[in-house]
Amino acid sequence: MKAMLLKRVLQLVTVVWGVGTLTFILMRSLPGDMAYRIAASRYGQDNVNSEAAALVRQELNLDQGAFAAYWHWLLDLLQFNLGHSLVSGLPVIDAIQHMLGHSLLLALAGLLVSILIAVPVGLFCAWRGNPLDSIFMGLSSMIRAMPVFVLGVLFILLFALHWNWFPVAGFGTPAHLVLPALTLALSLAAVSNRVVRDSAKHTFQAAFYQFSKVKGLSAWQTFRRHGVRNIAVPVVAFFGIQLVSMIEGIVMIESLFSWPGIGHGLAHAIFARDIPVIQGAALVMGVLFVALNTLVDMLCLWIDPRGVREA
Amino acid sequence: MKFTMTGSQWVGLGVLLSLLIFAVLGMMFSPFSISQQDLNAVLDSPSAVHWLGTDHFGRSMLTRMAHAVGLSFALGVLCVVTSSLLGTALGVWAVWGGKKVDHILGVMVNILLALPGLVVVLLFAAIVPGSFWILYLAISLVQWVEYFRVVRAITQNVIHSPARQSSQMMGFGHWYQFKRHIWPAIVPSVFTLAAFGGANAILTMASLGFVYVGIQPPLAELGLMTVELFPFYSDAPWLLAQPLVVIALMVFGFHLLAGKRV
Amino acid sequence: MSVLLKLTNVAVFVGDTCLLEPISLELKQGQPLTILGQTGSGKSLLAQAIMGLLPDTLSFQGDIEVFGKALTLEQRQALWGRDLVMLPQEPWHALDPLMKGINQVAEVYQHVQGKSQNDAQASAQQDLLDVGLADSAHKRPGQLSGGMAQRLAISAATAGGAHVILADEPTKGLDVSRRDGIVRLLQSRSIEGSLLTITHDVAIARQLGGSLLVMKQGRLVEQGDALDVLTNPQNHYTRELIAAEPKSWPDVSVALANKTTETVLVAENLAIERGGRTLFENVSFSINKGEVVGVVGDSGCGKSSLGDALLGLLPVSAGLVTRSNHTAKPYQWLKLYQDPPSAFTSSVSLGTLLKDLVDLHNIAQERIVPLMTRLNLPESILQRTCLDVSGGELQRFAILRALLLDPVFLFADEPTSRLDPITAKDVTNLLVELARETGCAVLMVSHDPDLVRKTCDTVITL
Repeated sequence: MKAMLLKRVLQLVTVVWGVGTLTFILMRSLPGDMAYRIAASRYGQDNVNSEAAALVRQELNLDQGAFAAYWHWLLDLLQFNLGHSLVSGLPVIDAIQHMLGHSLLLALAGLLVSILIAVPVGLFCAWRGNPLDSIFMGLSSMIRAMPVFVLGVLFILLFALHWNWFPVAGFGTPAHLVLPALTLALSLAAVSNRVVRDSAKHTFQAAFYQFSKVKGLSAWQTFRRHGVRNIAVPVVAFFGIQLVSMIEGIVMIESLFSWPGIGHGLAHAIFARDIPVIQGAALVMGVLFVALNTLVDMLCLWIDPRGVREA
Repeated sequence: MKFTMTGSQWVGLGVLLSLLIFAVLGMMFSPFSISQQDLNAVLDSPSAVHWLGTDHFGRSMLTRMAHAVGLSFALGVLCVVTSSLLGTALGVWAVWGGKKVDHILGVMVNILLALPGLVVVLLFAAIVPGSFWILYLAISLVQWVEYFRVVRAITQNVIHSPARQSSQMMGFGHWYQFKRHIWPAIVPSVFTLAAFGGANAILTMASLGFVYVGIQPPLAELGLMTVELFPFYSDAPWLLAQPLVVIALMVFGFHLLAGKRV
Repeated sequence: MSVLLKLTNVAVFVGDTCLLEPISLELKQGQPLTILGQTGSGKSLLAQAIMGLLPDTLSFQGDIEVFGKALTLEQRQALWGRDLVMLPQEPWHALDPLMKGINQVAEVYQHVQGKSQNDAQASAQQDLLDVGLADSAHKRPGQLSGGMAQRLAISAATAGGAHVILADEPTKGLDVSRRDGIVRLLQSRSIEGSLLTITHDVAIARQLGGSLLVMKQGRLVEQGDALDVLTNPQNHYTRELIAAEPKSWPDVSVALANKTTETVLVAENLAIERGGRTLFENVSFSINKGEVVGVVGDSGCGKSSLGDALLGLLPVSAGLVTRSNHTAKPYQWLKLYQDPPSAFTSSVSLGTLLKDLVDLHNIAQERIVPLMTRLNLPESILQRTCLDVSGGELQRFAILRALLLDPVFLFADEPTSRLDPITAKDVTNLLVELARETGCAVLMVSHDPDLVRKTCDTVITL
C-alpha cells in the first residue's frame, strides 16, 4: 500500500515536470521575441507592453541562458501559476475549471453506460455460451477495429444527420450528452465485455465454485457469495488499464462533438499553439490520470486484499 | 522455431497485404499526384479516369488513398520495429543486468506511464507541427514501454525457471540461454504486441490527423481526409466512406493477425 | 448394513472411447470403500460420475442408486451437501481465495442448514476448534498450509450434514506426517454414513480398511476386503503397486564400512533464512564420493533450500560450504529437478538439447547409446520435445544429461515425487545405482522417510 502510494506520488511529480519541460521546449521553439510571449502568457494579451516584456526578460535572465529560464518556468508551474491564454487572454485556470467539469461529466456518463453494457453482456456470454457468445465476440471485434472517431462519425451520420434524433454537436441539454457518451461507452464496452466474460467463465469453472455447490449452496447463493467478488478482481484491475483508452477516447470524442472539455481544449490549443492552455490542459489530464489510477489501485486492494496489482 | 498461424490470422495477414499492394501499386502507377487539382472535376463519382472518384479539389482519390495507406503502413512498421527492439532488449536487460539496471529502467517506465499515450504524442506533435518523424519518435517512445513490461515479466519467470538454471549449471553461456529459453518464451507475446502496436500507431496518427494537429495538408493522411471530406457527406458519401473503411480494415487486419487478445 | 450407494455397470466415455469400463460397486453403511490405482486409471471420473459432476464433453452409462433409489442427475445434485458430498483433490483450489476460512464453513450452516448468522458463526468456530484451526479461522486459504487447507475443506464439506463422503485423493501433496490426521478426520466424519476414497497411495488404503477395488487404466483388476487384498494380492498389477511403495523396496543403502573416504563436500554450521524466517541452523555434515545422502523433513523445513545452498544457488545466512574436490569443473555440480517438464525447454527436441550439450563439452558420441540403453530410453524420444514424453522418461533423460558430464555431486530434489509409484521406484533405483557406479555423490531430498531409508547411506533429518 505504502509502496503503491509512493509510486503514484512519484508519478505525479514526473507528470508536472514532464509537462512543464515539454511546454517549455515548445515555448522556445516558437518564432519571435520570447520575452514578449512569456509576458503575454503571464499577464494576458491586453496587458503586454515592452515594459512588461523587459521585466520578464530581466527576471528570467532570458539573455543569459535557457537553464535559468527553464528553472523559472518550472517554479511558476509549482506555484500553480498557469498564466493566461495567448489567444483569449483569459486566465488559464478559469478555462480549465470550466472544461474539467464537462470532461468529468462525459467520462462518468461514458463509464457508467459502458459498465451497464459490458457487465450483463459479459456475464450472459459466460453463462449461456454459444451461439450468443460468438455473436457478441464478433460484434465486439468489429467495434474494437473502429477508432473512436470513426465510431463517432458513424453515430453522427446515423442518429444526428439521418434520423435527427440527437443534436450533431455542442452542449447544454441532456440530449447533447447522448451521442458522445454512447460513443465512449461502446468503445470501452467492446473491450471490457470480453474481460468480464473471460473472468466470469474462469470463475464458473474454478474448483472452488464447484465445491461451493457440492457443499450444498444453491447456484444463486454460490454466485452471490463466491462469484461476484472473484469475477470483479480482474475486471476492476482492467479498468485501470482502460483509463488510458478512456482519456484518449475523451480527447477524440470531445473534438468530434465540439464538447467543451479538456481534450477539446488541448487539441484546440495545440492547433493554435496556445502554450499556457496546452500546459494547463495536459497537466490536468496527467493529474487526473494519476489520481484515477490511484483510485483503481485502492479499489483493487479493497476487493482483493491478497496483493497489489502490477503497474 | 515452429510458428503456426490460425485461420483468422491468415485472413488478417491477407487484408493487410492487399492494402499494402494497393498502396504500392497506387503510388507507383497512378498518373496523378496527391496535390494535382482539377476544379472542373470536383466530387466526381468513381469513373474510368478516377477509379475512386475525386475530392472537393478534384484531386484523385485513388492516388490520395494509396499515399495515405502507404504513409500509415510506413509509420506502423517503423514504430513496431523500433519499439519492439528497444522494449525487448531493455526488458531482458532489466532482468539480467541486476537490481540497479532494473530499478533505473523501472523509474523511466513509471514516468512514461504517468501520462496517457495520446497526450504525450499530442505534446510532441505540438513542438514540430506536421512532422512525420516527430510522430514516429513520440509513438515509439510511448509504445516500447508495453514490450518492456511484458518481456521483463516473462524473462523474470524464465530466469528463475529450473530449465534455465539447469542450462546455466551445465555450462551454457548467456547467448545460449537467451536463444533456447528466453526468446522462445517471449516471441509469441512480442508478436501479439507488435500486431496491436501496428494498429495503435496507425490509429494514433489518424487521430492526430483528425484533430488537425498531425500530418498537415496537402499531404494525404487517413484521419485528415476524414475531416476534409466530412462536410461532403451527403453530396459524396462514397468519398467519406473510403478513409473510414480503410482505417477500420487496417486496424481489423492487425487485430486478426494478433490472434489472441492481450 | 444398509447399502448407501449402489453402482451398476457405470461407464464413462469421451465420444466412442471408453475411459472407464463398466464397473459395479456397493458402498455400505459403516464400511469404507477404497479405490486404488495410478493417475490416469479413470478413478476420478467415477467419483465425478456419482456426484453428477462429469464435464459436458464426457458421457455416462449405467445406473446409480443412492439410499436404495435410482436417482437422476438432478436428483443427485439436490443431495449435495445435505446427504452426499465430495472432497476436492486440491483444497487450495477448492476454497474461495478471497473469503476467510471461517466464513466458508459458516455459510454452509447458514444457507444449507438454515441457521441464523450468529449460530452459524458459532458452529463454524466450534468445527474449526475441533480440527485445530481455531487460530487460523480468519485467514484466507492462501495463508494456510496444505494440511490446514484440507482440514478446512473437510469441515466446510461436512457442515451441511452429509454422511456419505467421496474423497478424491484427499492427501495429495501432503506430508506423510499430516496424512494420518486427515485420514482419521475423514473416518470420524463418515462414522454415521460411509466413506468412498480414491487414492494412489497403498498406505492410505491399508489405513482405511473396509473393502478395496484396484483399478488399472479404467478397468477393475481386483477387489475384496482391503487387508486381504493388500496382504495377499492375486493380480500382478496389485502386487506391482504394493511393491512400489517405498516401504516395501529392497534396501539398497550401503553400510558405512564399504565406502571410500574421499570427501567431496563439507558443510559446517549451515543456517538458511528465507523471507526473514530461519529455516534451520547449525547443520553440519560431509558427503563422500559415491555416497547417497538423504534429507527428510516436512514441507517448508528447507530441504530443497539446503541442496540449492550446497550448489551455490542460494546464499547461506551462516556457516560454510567447502568443496573438497578441486579438480572438478563448475558444470560437474548438478541438480535434478522435482518437476521434470519444468526443467527442460520445450522450444526444441530433446535430441537438439542433447546435441547442444555434446557440442559444448566435446562429449564422445559412443558414450550416449550404452547409457541410453542402460536408462531404458528409446532412441525415438530424441525426436520429441519435453511435452510429448512421460515424466518418467523425462527424468531419466535428465539423469542421462547429468551423467554425460561426469558429475562429482548431484542434488536430486524430490526427483520422483511427481511420478507414479511404479515409475518412481524404477527411476530412484537407477539413479542410486548409476551414482554408485560412477562415484558421484548424491544428495537426495524426499518427503518420504521410507524412500530415503531404503535408498540412502546416510540420512539428515531437518
